[in-house]
Amino acid sequence: MGIIEVEHLKKEFSYYKKATGIKGSLHNLFRRETLTKEAVRDISFSVEKGEMIGFLGPNGAGKTTTLKMLSGILYPTGGRAEVDGFVPWERKNEFKRRISIVMGQKNQLWWDLPASDSFYLNKCIFGVDDGTYRDVVTELSELLDVRDLMSVQVRRLSLGERMKMEILAALIHQPDILFLDEPTIGLDILSQKKIREFLKLYNQQKKTTVIITSHYMADIEALCQRAVIINQGQLVYDGRLGDINRVLGERRLLSVKTSSEVNPAQWEGFGTLRETSAAGAVLEVPQEKVKAILGAILAGLPVEDFTVTEIPIEESIARFYQKEVVAP
Amino acid sequence: MRQIGRYCRLMGVFAKYSLMSALEYRINFITGVTVEMGWMIIKLLYVAIIYKAGTSIGVLTPDHILLFVGTYVFMTGVYMLYYGNFGSLPWMIQQGELDLYIVKPVSLQFLVTLRRLEFAYLLPDFVVGVIMIVTGWRLAGLPSDVLSVAGFLFFLLCGCLLTYSIFLLPYLLGFWIISLGGIADISNALWDFNNMPSLIYEKWMRRIGTYVLPVFVITNFPGLFLMGELNVWACVWGAAAPVLFFLLSRKLWKISLKRYSSASS
Repeated sequence: MGIIEVEHLKKEFSYYKKATGIKGSLHNLFRRETLTKEAVRDISFSVEKGEMIGFLGPNGAGKTTTLKMLSGILYPTGGRAEVDGFVPWERKNEFKRRISIVMGQKNQLWWDLPASDSFYLNKCIFGVDDGTYRDVVTELSELLDVRDLMSVQVRRLSLGERMKMEILAALIHQPDILFLDEPTIGLDILSQKKIREFLKLYNQQKKTTVIITSHYMADIEALCQRAVIINQGQLVYDGRLGDINRVLGERRLLSVKTSSEVNPAQWEGFGTLRETSAAGAVLEVPQEKVKAILGAILAGLPVEDFTVTEIPIEESIARFYQKEVVAP
Repeated sequence: MRQIGRYCRLMGVFAKYSLMSALEYRINFITGVTVEMGWMIIKLLYVAIIYKAGTSIGVLTPDHILLFVGTYVFMTGVYMLYYGNFGSLPWMIQQGELDLYIVKPVSLQFLVTLRRLEFAYLLPDFVVGVIMIVTGWRLAGLPSDVLSVAGFLFFLLCGCLLTYSIFLLPYLLGFWIISLGGIADISNALWDFNNMPSLIYEKWMRRIGTYVLPVFVITNFPGLFLMGELNVWACVWGAAAPVLFFLLSRKLWKISLKRYSSASS
């Protein structure tokens, strides 16, 4: 049994419809039509202790809502979940001591004070003893490269520095499970990289279970072996990140450079034409036919050079987002 | 008991951090103190006029009125100390800002309603309120034996708990409706009913303000106790009302929290 078990989890939000303009507003004053949005629809998955999984999906897919239910912030409409032996939304203090959540768009640090003051407040809130607190702050501040910033007011920190401090604050009580909701949003490449390296190391050393959502594929590729993709509240893929292309049908990109211009119509017989120019074309072809197609192209067209590559993972995931495919 | 100690320590950290944050913006802090002092002068003027006219209201002489208004000024300082947290509650609900507080292993109500303390308002109200209370007490020749002082302080403490419990209630509506401006205004107006001793109001109004929505209990009971104007039942009510309303605020907080739907990221 995994450290996180989710079965048929559902969350509905109710809202009311409003027509545009003043007429709609006046109408709403007297009568409101309530509608229901299914943010999460019947999601089931399990996470093993120490695993680091990427939670992917387009905006509004239900990723954050799921994380909020798993961390006890929201009550579900249906289904069950068990996180480290607890039902999250019962909000037991012992459960809260075992988890932590970092949201890229929200902050828990005291804005006008140095981050170290917020760390101390978390120490008091979580009842961490003095020795452990000192060790954790020393160790993590070095790993995150923020030791010199401990006495700088949070409002004076850059976004990247602030996010590192947010992560540090969330780890003061050494949680078993860490939920990260877009922790690198809006950060520069260097800060993103530093945070990724830190999370990877932290997960390896402490065996903390991590669920991360991010729109940056670099985060997911660097950190996660496994991806869970949800779209429109439904789970559409749960498996190894590297297997996504296989699920979509093993396809390859064939980039061919030609010595003279080839009529686009001539390419179409070889595969799905993605790009064409005077200098060549890019074709999408089934993996098992690469050899045959390449042979035919070499025989029939003025080929100067060619490369065969996998379809970028980002693109494959985008197909799940566009609902071109459903889970196997 | 250990829990109480833990919450007191946390309260101490909140107080320290709030003061440190406030002192980061010196001008704002000084302006806050000045504005509050301006309000206080207006209230002192009321008392000055009563002294000048030499009017008594029923059993209340101007000295008694000074004591009652002093209690009101003191209580206003205490209320203003944490009022900002109530005021920002609807916004926090609307913006999903409770998310990161819900996951902390302490009472969410404690964390959300008492984490930011506003000392700029407390200081002038506290100092002037205490001076007015002591002066009114002495001038009115009210008893100052241990029982009287203890009773006064007890009802003052009850008033603090009652203020927190009653005035949190309207802000809990933030979980149900999005904009609370009008309701907040009514709640503030209700607080100002204590500007003057409740004895100036009609009997039916006093009854409502004492037993239905006991706002009069907050600033009147300490003074009425000193004057010997509270019978045993009123004393029992003065002690029970804060507990009842605190329990009510806890219950409604928990019910309201189930409505929390956070906000989209």
